[in-house]
Amino acid sequence: MMTSPTQHDADIIVVGAGPAGSCAAIAAARAGKSVILIERGPFPGSKNMYGGVVYPRILDELVPSWWETMPVQRWVVKRSTMLLSDSGALNIDFRANSWGAPPYNGATAYRPDFDNWLANHAVEAGARLVCSTTVTGLLRDSNGRIQGVSTDRPDGDLHAPIVIACDGVNSFLAKQSGLYPHTDASNFTLGVKETLALPKHVIDERFGVRDNLGVDIEILGGTSGVNGGGFIYTNLDTIALGVVLKLPKLAAQQKRPEQIIAELKRHPAIAPLIEGAEVKEYSAHVIPEAGLDMMPTMVADGMLVAGDAAAMCLAAGIWLEGVNFAMASGMYAGQAAAEAIAKNDVSSRGLSGYTDRLEKSFVLRDHRKLRKVPHLVLSDRVQHKYPAFVAGVVERVFRVDNPHPKPGVRRIVREERKKAGIGLLDLLRDGWTGMRGFG
Amino acid sequence: MTITVCIKWVLPNRDGDERFAGISLADQAAVETGLSVAEALNDTCTVVTVGPPAAEASLRDALACGAHDVVRIDGSADTDSAETARLLAEHCVHSRFIVCGDYSADRGSGSVPALIAARLERGQALGLIDVRIVGESLSVVRRLDGGRREKLSIVGPAVISVEGSVARLRRASLRATLAAGEAHINVITNDGSGALRRNPETVPPRPYRPRARVVPSPSGSSALDRVRQITDTSSSKGHGETVVLSPEDAASRILESLRAWGYLADSAT
Repeated sequence: MMTSPTQHDADIIVVGAGPAGSCAAIAAARAGKSVILIERGPFPGSKNMYGGVVYPRILDELVPSWWETMPVQRWVVKRSTMLLSDSGALNIDFRANSWGAPPYNGATAYRPDFDNWLANHAVEAGARLVCSTTVTGLLRDSNGRIQGVSTDRPDGDLHAPIVIACDGVNSFLAKQSGLYPHTDASNFTLGVKETLALPKHVIDERFGVRDNLGVDIEILGGTSGVNGGGFIYTNLDTIALGVVLKLPKLAAQQKRPEQIIAELKRHPAIAPLIEGAEVKEYSAHVIPEAGLDMMPTMVADGMLVAGDAAAMCLAAGIWLEGVNFAMASGMYAGQAAAEAIAKNDVSSRGLSGYTDRLEKSFVLRDHRKLRKVPHLVLSDRVQHKYPAFVAGVVERVFRVDNPHPKPGVRRIVREERKKAGIGLLDLLRDGWTGMRGFG
Repeated sequence: MTITVCIKWVLPNRDGDERFAGISLADQAAVETGLSVAEALNDTCTVVTVGPPAAEASLRDALACGAHDVVRIDGSADTDSAETARLLAEHCVHSRFIVCGDYSADRGSGSVPALIAARLERGQALGLIDVRIVGESLSVVRRLDGGRREKLSIVGPAVISVEGSVARLRRASLRATLAAGEAHINVITNDGSGALRRNPETVPPRPYRPRARVVPSPSGSSALDRVRQITDTSSSKGHGETVVLSPEDAASRILESLRAWGYLADSAT
């Protein structure tokens, strides 16, 4: 499909100025294409939330020395995995001080700051940013080919040969274009987060860090019986604490997410960390967690889908990443779109450079490798039985119960496994799946 | 003579975060009032502010909404009221109506319009809660103490200030917003002697500016329906159209449109 001679407002329209959209705009504008970047909020990042860590190394290609200007709260140098039972906790810590120096590893950041910073780079590259504007649909010509977007503003139709949909999870544009034929609630989780304010020195003392170094704690268990997980991240003078909940389970249990957060905050392993904190913000967001199994077709004639809109979220237990996948997919979409314009072929074939790039990079290779892991992590056994089993084993191993002699570890494991109701075959099967995924 | 609207760009806090800066609802109402009056009187509307370069974001918004010209008088965001009024008055000498917001986003005293009126020796009607255009004059309602109201008829030249409830600023068209984003802004600098000097090279090319229109309030029986109407991007916003047809043809046309919008099955008649 060649680009038609109709009057275009730009070469490329990018919908959504989140990490994916801004990176797409930067890449396309740097390639000399005219780009309009449309954002629904009053400024980029104003309506976005996450509770996580940004792994920005993908920015090496787009923003050299990004760490010098990126609005970081804390560089994460300590990663913890916490298994919570009803009253116990097993905490596995790892600390790498090298992560606190260039080129760094991951950082906590406020999305309104981070997204705005990234969008400013897009504007500097030449993209035209339009805020407070909602894209309401796709424009098509008489042959059904995508020709641009309509917006909620008067005189709000914009024409371009390529539209890059970075309009977030539950993408209306991907659905409208038929790339997302069906969605299944079981593929999504609901992330809810409280931002809790504490003085910086208190956070430093409680989490064992100083200066602008921070901690990332991932929690298994502690979600009141709803499949999911929890997290705690340190910002400079706030803590992000939240839970991620599987939607069908949440609906079936008829629990309110804020109630589940409140229960997590009362857990004896969590309460001392947040004592005296003041809730500054409560927010919630749907997360696409099923990885490769829920990804839409990402290329159509005149259209690409990137970021959360393309389910670019990796929820694989020890790896919980989203922003880096969004940035990478956005960047590749921008590059492929610029390439297609240069070749004067915006058909899905002309835009196939996008999927080629995704397939060759970590974006789809990681998703392929870890395809079964999200299902394993959110399974009933991993969610409910294993945390109690592990906490029970560790509790008995470390309990000194004189005058009784110490039991053997194998015996403890066997007894606790039976107590938790875990069959040996199930344990081996899950272990095999985990090894294949993580190995 | 022109209609001049004076607005104040305000940082909501002192940490300098310009993302949250802007103008008050009263200033927005002033812009809408100025545009409406200019349209009715076939006049031009200029929006002016005293402020730093960051204040140009609000001027661009005004430009996108349909202002014919915008001017920034260079000054700091916390220029005091008397100096602000002096700078604005000097710029507004030839204005037919000077329209201000009754309060700024930092909840100022609303004294600037009165000070402008005093400097220019103009009539003033401040704290207006209703403004209607009747012929060449304005019919306004002013709030008085004790719940009383005062009705006035203003011919101009005059200074008026309006409360935020007087009008809702129209939504700028997309093309006007894009054009305003790249338009030159007139900047006037204070040369130190107190006189204002217009920067000669910043005479702006007029951006493409189709007339902005007011988006109607959502209708619906419940609050949820109304919120959905505004926010639900999956639903069609529809298109208004006026046609003159015979009753039979009109009925057919309505059915045809309903079918095209997906409200009727293809076989429905």
